[in-house]
Amino acid sequence: MTTLARAVQEPWPDLRTQREAVGLGMWFFLASEVLFFAALFCSYAVYRSFNEEAFRTAAAHTKIVYGSINTVLLLTSSLTMTIALRAATVRLRRLTMICLGATAFLGIAFLVCKGLEYRSDILEHLVPGAGFPLSPPATEIFWGLYWIMTGVHAIHLTAGIGIVIVVMVLFGRGTVPVQGSTMEGVAIYWHFVDTVWIFLFPLIYLAGRS
Amino acid sequence: MRRDRANTRRLWLGPFWTWVALILLFAVSLGSAYIPLGDGNLAFNLFIAAIMAIILIVFLMDLRSSQALVRVTAVAGLFWMALMFSLTFSDYLTRN
Repeated sequence: MTTLARAVQEPWPDLRTQREAVGLGMWFFLASEVLFFAALFCSYAVYRSFNEEAFRTAAAHTKIVYGSINTVLLLTSSLTMTIALRAATVRLRRLTMICLGATAFLGIAFLVCKGLEYRSDILEHLVPGAGFPLSPPATEIFWGLYWIMTGVHAIHLTAGIGIVIVVMVLFGRGTVPVQGSTMEGVAIYWHFVDTVWIFLFPLIYLAGRS
Repeated sequence: MRRDRANTRRLWLGPFWTWVALILLFAVSLGSAYIPLGDGNLAFNLFIAAIMAIILIVFLMDLRSSQALVRVTAVAGLFWMALMFSLTFSDYLTRN
């Protein structure tokens, strides 16, 4: 059986239709993910509308350097992921593997950076509860949302890194052909995680700068 | 060989310029956050974030070349999100 024939699965007549089906399935999943994150963004909007000054004070204590480095890392990982997808489509196996490796590396770098940021936040006691250093009390709401929103995002990214590594192993072993539809779903998921961060960045890191 | 190199270059170029645009918008957003504009700061930063998301979705997630059904599915998520925000704020903003 040729590699191309192996790439096409039942019930799809050709690879193009199969790729479109994978894309559609992933977008269905992402539509539910949009609502999941929207609930968090909506909570942020409601609490901010009642505690504007407290949110500004609280946001001024987030670590803008870590946030900015992480934004550049994620945007760059979206670039490498797109190139991996395009390379896979035209069967450039080596380039696909290199770009997937770079994407996973950038994702891990993001998590390391996030870990350092969390460490710094914890050392400053910026965790809602006893000993929280900021006032008024509504600043705790911002920091509660900070931990939940960035934490949930980091979990999504961790899942993305895991998927990228598994796909690399499958491509490396030849179990799944690179030009199949696998890359389509992986790339769309990865970009979604990046898109969520694009909105988290201004709400968390830029809100209290001026 | 030369054709391979040209193909690889073409593969890089489009996403590369999209990435440049995203990084520039990020820099504008970061810089503008330090200019005192009151409530305008967050509004402007979210506006830039929306442009960045559109660029990413259209050019890197390839939504521009997707089927109409895929586009409708993508927009459906945004539609329900808009409904969630509208119903939530129609309550909170009309309380005494």
